[in-house]
Amino acid sequence: MEHAETTGIVASGEYLTFTLGAEEYGMDILKVQEIRGYDAVTKIANSPPFIKGVINLRGVIVPIVDLRIKFKLGEPTYDQFTVVIILNIGKRVMGIVVDGVSDVIQLNSDNLRSAPEFGSILDTRYILGLGTVENRMIIVVDIEKLMSSQEMALIEESVA
Amino acid sequence: MSIDMSQFYQVFFEETSEHLANMESLLLDLDVDAPSLEELNAIFRAAHSIKGGSGTFGFTDMTEVTHVLETLLDRLRKEELQLRPDMVDAFLAAGDVLRAQLEHHQGGPAAEEAQIRLVCEQLNKLASGEAAGHESPAAAHQGAVSAEIRTVTLTCNLPAEVVADAGALNNLLASLAEIAVLDVTHAPDATDTTLAAVLTTQKSDAELRDLLSFFVAPDMVKLSPGGDQEEAFGFFDSEPGAPEADPGFGFFDETPSVPAKEDLGYGFFDEEPPKPVSPVSADPGYGFFADDVASVGVSSVTASGIREEQDRDGAYGFFEDAAGKPEHLANRNISAMDSPAAIEGQGYGIYVDAPKGVGLFDDAPGIKKSAALAASPSAAASPASDSSGGRVGAAVSAAPKTGRRESDKAAVATATDTSIRVSVEKVDQLINLVGELVITQAMLAEAANAFDPVMAEKLLAGIDLLSRNTRDLQESVMSIRMLPMSMVFSRFPRVVRDLAGKLNKQVEMKTMGDNTELDKGLIEKITDPMTHLVRNSLDHGIETPERRSAAGKNPKGTLTLKASHQGGNVVIEVIDDGAGLNREKILSKAKERGLPVSDGMTDHEVWQLIFAPGFSTADQVTDVSGRGVGMDVVKRNIEGLGGKVELESSTGFGTRTIIRLPLTLAILDGMSVGVGGETFIVPLTTIVESLQPSLSDIRTMAGDSRMVHIRGEYLPFISLGKVFGLHCQEDITRGIVMVIESEDGKAALFVDELQGQHQVVIKSLEANYRKVPGVSGATIMGDGSVAMILDVSAVTRMGLSPNNSQRSLAA
Repeated sequence: MEHAETTGIVASGEYLTFTLGAEEYGMDILKVQEIRGYDAVTKIANSPPFIKGVINLRGVIVPIVDLRIKFKLGEPTYDQFTVVIILNIGKRVMGIVVDGVSDVIQLNSDNLRSAPEFGSILDTRYILGLGTVENRMIIVVDIEKLMSSQEMALIEESVA
Repeated sequence: MSIDMSQFYQVFFEETSEHLANMESLLLDLDVDAPSLEELNAIFRAAHSIKGGSGTFGFTDMTEVTHVLETLLDRLRKEELQLRPDMVDAFLAAGDVLRAQLEHHQGGPAAEEAQIRLVCEQLNKLASGEAAGHESPAAAHQGAVSAEIRTVTLTCNLPAEVVADAGALNNLLASLAEIAVLDVTHAPDATDTTLAAVLTTQKSDAELRDLLSFFVAPDMVKLSPGGDQEEAFGFFDSEPGAPEADPGFGFFDETPSVPAKEDLGYGFFDEEPPKPVSPVSADPGYGFFADDVASVGVSSVTASGIREEQDRDGAYGFFEDAAGKPEHLANRNISAMDSPAAIEGQGYGIYVDAPKGVGLFDDAPGIKKSAALAASPSAAASPASDSSGGRVGAAVSAAPKTGRRESDKAAVATATDTSIRVSVEKVDQLINLVGELVITQAMLAEAANAFDPVMAEKLLAGIDLLSRNTRDLQESVMSIRMLPMSMVFSRFPRVVRDLAGKLNKQVEMKTMGDNTELDKGLIEKITDPMTHLVRNSLDHGIETPERRSAAGKNPKGTLTLKASHQGGNVVIEVIDDGAGLNREKILSKAKERGLPVSDGMTDHEVWQLIFAPGFSTADQVTDVSGRGVGMDVVKRNIEGLGGKVELESSTGFGTRTIIRLPLTLAILDGMSVGVGGETFIVPLTTIVESLQPSLSDIRTMAGDSRMVHIRGEYLPFISLGKVFGLHCQEDITRGIVMVIESEDGKAALFVDELQGQHQVVIKSLEANYRKVPGVSGATIMGDGSVAMILDVSAVTRMGLSPNNSQRSLAA
């Protein structure tokens, strides 16, 4: 736990937890606009496979990212139980496909530890820390940083 | 009653800009040799409105400039002076000064003082030039000496220290006595610092003011021509200490401290005084007389007697004319100065409408006061005032109403169309909402298709009606944003006039298709590129008169601005009949700059060279053009708007620049096409034709590149499915080939099916995502799904370069 201080400050507050495969993730609930079922998307030509396409969210064109494909977790199946979390990142609206949404938890610095650094698909840059709630490990991601990252290819390079 | 005037500033700024623009266009249209009275009057009205407005809002600097402007205009429209070209120049210069002042009030840099003075002097000189013996108030203001002996009523509030210092006061009176026959009607004392006097002098007001300026600020000095009848004013004036207590007081107030604060209606206060500081809170009856004060304040020499005379023509004439023709009035008043009492009698007689009128006002101060009191509407029926006073009050309180109605009517008459001001955001919001409505309607219509037409006849009929209504609604809402091209064209007569003068060229400008409508967003963005083109045409295109004559052409060149609709595009053309582009010169310049050129290039290719950054054929850089930035910027701006620029030129006969623009940036007419299960929208404007090819029409070149042979033309064959990497089997015989035309030329785009024609609302993909190659935006279809709108030229490019066709961004 010597890296505890290096990953920076973890804000305590409420986090929405969601599952990707067998793993449980958490993100700042204030970034969440709404949770909805998965609709048919319109594919975007020549885009990476994890960008499923765009949907019409009440007149706004919103891109949808499947985090399961991005992190190679779980089976990307799309049925009436597939969940899309609509996020508000900066002034942008985007959706992420996850396996499921579990609950909203309270985390503070006591039960948040920083993640050890090792090579993984999910760069530790985007991990705020690891939370422990009733023996569950929750990977708290900095969803804003993750979604605006270049590898997500959601935002024009010049803007990112 | 104090209303914050600043909330109306914006309206004033907008209105004034409009008036200025209007004035400018009228001036440019003016036929110098035979100016029509109608036009002169229109210019005068514009100037007058600016003056009125600026006065109301306390922008004294503008009031002053418009005033001198008006003076000259007034003489012109009364045909006292002959219009000369230098006058038009002076008017235009004054318009520029006013615009600079207006910008200053809006927070811009201060207008140049020297420039303002120069313009005013110029105008004054022109106004007084052929008017020896006549004295315009403006001229007087500027210090012209009048030879006539005049009677002037002087009133001023002396500073307390001057009054306290007996020596200083005597000094003042002595110096006044030196130049005038002095009759002090009210000597200042410790309680009332007002000095009132009747002066009979040869000196002009300006000189009197100069003299007094040692003691009092010039704007504190009131000079009004006429003697006796002004005494009443002077009297009331001498009690500035108690304005609040006596509402009628303000009514007769001659001091510039007239309320600008209380706002009873804009038109009504048209003639507000230029000094906005107002200790007096007055009633509506007051406002009527604010006009009096305005003309006094502005011109310093307006005769109240004449004002009343004007009044007989009705309240309206009073409003328009009192300040409108101050010089005229003053002249008349001066000539009639020997009988001021008669004028006074007339004036008041009309007011009071009773033989007792004159007597009333000659009466003791006490009665005057009661009349004044009665002038406040609330006191109009005051039993305390005597009958004549009551009638005065009634007349006065009735007058403003008439005045207001009349001036309103005039405002309607002068404005060619009635309009309201709405912020663009509101309109855009409306457009968005209607866009949503259209989508919802389409969804309903689609859902209704599932019903049995016999069973659901009424429902289907209703949905039909709904779709018609939404379409109409959408069209009307879209048209709110549409503005005529004349909005752009109207600024060019001035540009052309100024430039032609600077370049010593004779140019006639013509416009065609002024009423062609274009989206407001486009109108705003098209102005700069057009200015570049016009300047280019004038500088490089049209030759000097000598060279034109030598070439056997009319020495006067013609510049034509033309706008028209062509399909879904607006086509704007800038045409000059000048020398045309010089092919050899462009080629040699291009070689110098190391551009890849050859002598075998087509004209079209050569003309495109001038769009290269930094390209200029001008031998020397002038302040008009020649830096080679223009055409490059023009091209980029226009392409940024989704338009195209083309050039046609013929040496010796002129150049034509053609700009093609989409009608609007928000809505697009498109054809929906299906490819591999996806729907795309192809802008209708890019589609030339669609046809079903036979296998024999498809030829290959170098093995891979395919061409379609359509009526003798070989077009590159582009499969949309391949460009977008969609998994679809290409069945030439079942698909459709669309011939599309873009800036990169024609191409044949192969799609699976044509679905239908739609008007789609363009939604940005970039708002929440990023730019997608080959796609210019997205839209929401009737079923709520999203469809991509093709960027046809990008698709063509992607399809033509083999590396691109199979490319995937997969990370």
